[in-house]
Amino acid sequence: MASISELYDVTWEEMRDKLRKWREENYRNSEQIVDVGEELISEHASKLGDDIWIIYEQVMIAALDCSRDDLAWSCLQELKRQFPDSHRVKRLVGMRLEALERYEDANKLYDSVLQDDPTNTAARKRKISILRAQGRNTDAIRELNEYLEQFVGDQEAWHELSELYINEHDYAKAAFCLEELMMTNPHNHLYCEQYAEVKYTQGGMENMELARKYFAQALKLNNRNMRALFGLYMSASHIAANTKVSAKVKKDNVKYAAWAASQINRAYQLAGRGKKENKCSMKAVEEMLESMHITMS
Amino acid sequence: MSEVELSCLAYVKMYLHASLFPRSSVNGLLLSSSLEEGSVCVTDCVPLLHSHLPLAMISQLALTQVDVWCSQTQQRIVGYYQANACLSNSSPTPVAFKMAEKIVEHYSNAVLLMIEGRKMSSGYRVPPIVVYEHKDSRWTLKDKHKIMLRQWEETRSIADQLLKSNDHTILVDFDSHLDDITKDWTNQKLNAKIMELASPANGNM
Repeated sequence: MASISELYDVTWEEMRDKLRKWREENYRNSEQIVDVGEELISEHASKLGDDIWIIYEQVMIAALDCSRDDLAWSCLQELKRQFPDSHRVKRLVGMRLEALERYEDANKLYDSVLQDDPTNTAARKRKISILRAQGRNTDAIRELNEYLEQFVGDQEAWHELSELYINEHDYAKAAFCLEELMMTNPHNHLYCEQYAEVKYTQGGMENMELARKYFAQALKLNNRNMRALFGLYMSASHIAANTKVSAKVKKDNVKYAAWAASQINRAYQLAGRGKKENKCSMKAVEEMLESMHITMS
Repeated sequence: MSEVELSCLAYVKMYLHASLFPRSSVNGLLLSSSLEEGSVCVTDCVPLLHSHLPLAMISQLALTQVDVWCSQTQQRIVGYYQANACLSNSSPTPVAFKMAEKIVEHYSNAVLLMIEGRKMSSGYRVPPIVVYEHKDSRWTLKDKHKIMLRQWEETRSIADQLLKSNDHTILVDFDSHLDDITKDWTNQKLNAKIMELASPANGNM
């Protein structure tokens, strides 16, 4: 098989920089990391200086993701030799055990790390991941709540907890987690939009009104967020179609829905310009908007 | 009970959808272009989500749009498929039942199909799927012998070929469509690739 450097005509420096970019942006494109990383390690290890260690770690985790235990194992050996007593390397040993579904052994290892260093957040998070992998969602929720009592600023953990609650259909608690995230990230349109989706799912007039407001807020933060645009359209249509709302509320919401519909149409027209490919989905949207318009008026 | 037949196109797309998002639960809709009474003939599928399956708004939106598209193209929604993120559990979740109930309201023979992640490794001999049917207002497991995948060996090898050539990355589900609306969830491009591999000229069928 042709090497990456020949295939794409890239230098080893470019490959190194690519890996760094993926690391910094926290990408989980494991197949690519394995392809680039494996070649970099085998052909250019000596040129990488101290970068080699973090690359071993990155490639090792990606290799586990692709069930390339051979590659994971060889990276791990290098790291163990260099950092024999490191907790960070121990966590990698644990992750390999997890990949082999040896959960009990992995748990023991993480426990030993935690005994040395009770504030080791990485080990605690791994233990919670094991519960998730085993499908023990309620246990994972309990552990994560205990974790958050100690590390209340950990946003990744709040987000994980919101996902767990969504999976358990506990929308009120999922909303609470997302409120926590919105408070610390008031300009993040994704949290805002997700919060609106949770409120929409909860249903009832009050929640639907809140959903509409937060879809609108998400749009204000990023006017290209299509989920928020559709959300605004759907929630406003719902409210307008409710027979119990006052004439004014109905009128306002018809107006919001109509505005959203025109924006959706515009977005699809812009996207479809000179392209045949999305013809089908575009036609579906147009007709949907038309038919819903009729039922509302 | 009636039989259910799965086309190569429907199976391969479902399989690639689950392979594209191995860490998430995924779901989608099963379509039919044959309106024969009695047996269910799944001819195509539309991949829907790979995140937040329980949240209602996007599902409602997707159902409405796929329904519109179906009436434009003389197809109907005849079932629902899902693959769970958790490998050890391939039983239908409350979301799966809820979506399937919605479909049954309009098509009483509708099926609920679960992909068994555990059996998706290469070298599997039998289709990694289980199918439920709606009987006496309950979902019951369908007899494996009533599930037909014509040319299973060929279908399997087409799925493997596409995975190997990384063509699963061109699959678009409704979720990715919302992230970039220039991408088309009817997957015309991928369909053409599958049909090409499945055509008799290539010796696959």
